[in-house]
Amino acid sequence: MMIIRKALIRQGHRIAIAPARSWTRALATEVDIASIESSLSNSLRDTKSIELQVQNETIKLVPQIDSRTQSTQNLLEDNTAAKYTQLQQHKKLTNPLGSRIAPHYQPHFLVNDPPRPSDITLELLLASQAHLGHKTSHWNPMNSRYIFGIRQGIHIISLDVTASHLRRACRVVAGVAERGGLVLFVGTRPGQDRCVVKAAQMAGGCHLFERWTPGSITNGHQILGNCRTKVVDEYDREITGYDEELRDRPVLKPDLVVCMNPLENWVMLHECGLNAIPTIGIIDTDANPTWVTYPIPANDDSLRCVQVIAGVLGRAGEEGQKSRREKAMHGNVTYTPSTLATGVSTKGGRTGRSGEDIRGLQ
Amino acid sequence: MTSKLPWGATYRLSTHCPRCLSRLPPRRTLTTPPHKLAIAAPPIDLTSLPPPNPQNARVVPASPSYFTGRPDSTDNYLNLLALLRRYQTLPTVPPAQAPRVAWRTVTQYRLLVGEPVRASKYHKIVEVLQRLNRIHPSVIPLDLSQAMEIYKRDVDPYAVKKKPAIIDEDGRAYGVGRRKSSSAKVYLVQGEGEVLVNGKSINNVFGRIHDRESALWALKATGRMDKYNVWALVTGGGSTGQAEAITLGAAKALMVFEPALKPALRRAGCVTRDPRRVERKKPGHVKARKMPAWVKR
Repeated sequence: MMIIRKALIRQGHRIAIAPARSWTRALATEVDIASIESSLSNSLRDTKSIELQVQNETIKLVPQIDSRTQSTQNLLEDNTAAKYTQLQQHKKLTNPLGSRIAPHYQPHFLVNDPPRPSDITLELLLASQAHLGHKTSHWNPMNSRYIFGIRQGIHIISLDVTASHLRRACRVVAGVAERGGLVLFVGTRPGQDRCVVKAAQMAGGCHLFERWTPGSITNGHQILGNCRTKVVDEYDREITGYDEELRDRPVLKPDLVVCMNPLENWVMLHECGLNAIPTIGIIDTDANPTWVTYPIPANDDSLRCVQVIAGVLGRAGEEGQKSRREKAMHGNVTYTPSTLATGVSTKGGRTGRSGEDIRGLQ
Repeated sequence: MTSKLPWGATYRLSTHCPRCLSRLPPRRTLTTPPHKLAIAAPPIDLTSLPPPNPQNARVVPASPSYFTGRPDSTDNYLNLLALLRRYQTLPTVPPAQAPRVAWRTVTQYRLLVGEPVRASKYHKIVEVLQRLNRIHPSVIPLDLSQAMEIYKRDVDPYAVKKKPAIIDEDGRAYGVGRRKSSSAKVYLVQGEGEVLVNGKSINNVFGRIHDRESALWALKATGRMDKYNVWALVTGGGSTGQAEAITLGAAKALMVFEPALKPALRRAGCVTRDPRRVERKKPGHVKARKMPAWVKR
């Protein structure tokens, strides 16, 4: 009986619902060998039939999808679109209802709507964990001037020093952008891609969120020779017809490099130093401050801190670009124009944009 | 016959002028007589910029991904990620129900963008595409489906439908078989068991009993020797190759008549095309594999 009961439990809850009636009944009535035997055989029969049922159900065949078009047609006919529009309408109606939550940290705002240089406060930097350095044994004594003290075995960076260095960096980025310079934002750690791309977009510069190819500046022709360039005027409108000339020109170098993780990109910083390209970098307590021209002592391991700094520098670049365009509107060209042939090519060459074969990818 | 109805009704009733054969011109809704059209010059545009001045030109990168070395593929990836962020709340279907798409291969994508794209990077792009493909077809936006089109192969292999093998009006089924360098076209008809190879009796064509047996192995193994007539045209190769080619062709033709025989024919070894070919001779060897005797000096 115990074996039967165990078998029933093993088969699952559904079988347990179908009780072995004869077993309990046998106990309730007077104990009789013949009745016990008959109840045993009944239970066995029940188990076997239940087993058969379970087997039949588990060997059910999955209905085959004949063709993809048929299944797509079925999907188009199940009224998901109507239900989705209903949901959107319902959301619109009910969104303003309910309690208003107090202003709180929303991670996506740092990337989508970054703070401005005027929003740099010690509270913001503290909330972004910019003051947290590394273990005291891992420090670089060269940046002892940026360290406030020690707490729980780590160095704490002075946030007023951070703020002042960050504001200086903002002035540098804005100044370079105002004078038509090319700013390169670099952040190669996972998760830094979005803020770096956004900062480059605001500052009208370039981004890099994957490994820096060594030699991109010192051996630029080899590595970046196939990357397209274009000719623009003071209003950022493209001027066509310079295709042949652009092919003969040397590869572009950035005028300023902003690096979010200098420890991993020391090769790039070295190349910049060789080519007299000033650099800005987030210097943690274990990083070397002499690797960059304008260090920003802050925590490079916190993504939130990196997003704040990248966002702020991007906004500064945006202000610089705006200032440059306004000056151009008044006829003041703030940059030194490139030496190009004044006569535009009459052959009607291809523009610097994507070619016809990959049109539409942008 | 002139109509006394108003102008509009006349037009609706017939498009032919009663007096001439040409059609009436389409009636314009806000017609102004030609002599009252505007003749003044358009207003002065004080907001537009002056024409481009090449003396103020400067060279800038065409893409913000210039310093990656792979600007186009990086921009593609970023655009797809942006699309995903925008449409990630749309309802999705399970992966099995999503439309089956053949995305471009790594090589094809490299040719498309003209850059040395890493395979791992392209697989990340395909991952994003597969997630975008799972958006329910009834709510998928037009710009998204257009953006995904570029990554699909030029020829959709899943749209290829194999033509079903048929029995023609004369009751013949057709099968092609190949072995070594022989090629056989085999026609099977319901019959008594006659066999003709290149117009001759099978005993004349194949001297060896083994060849004769293997040529008709498909019918022998399934016990249908007396049910079908075989007409085979074989070219190329030698006796064994031709015999085995007929085996395969006859098996394929037999599967047209009786598709349920496929497992039996597979067990009999008639379904797989034997891919073996004569191996070429290599320099330094006497034959394909045989090497000259080793000499100590």
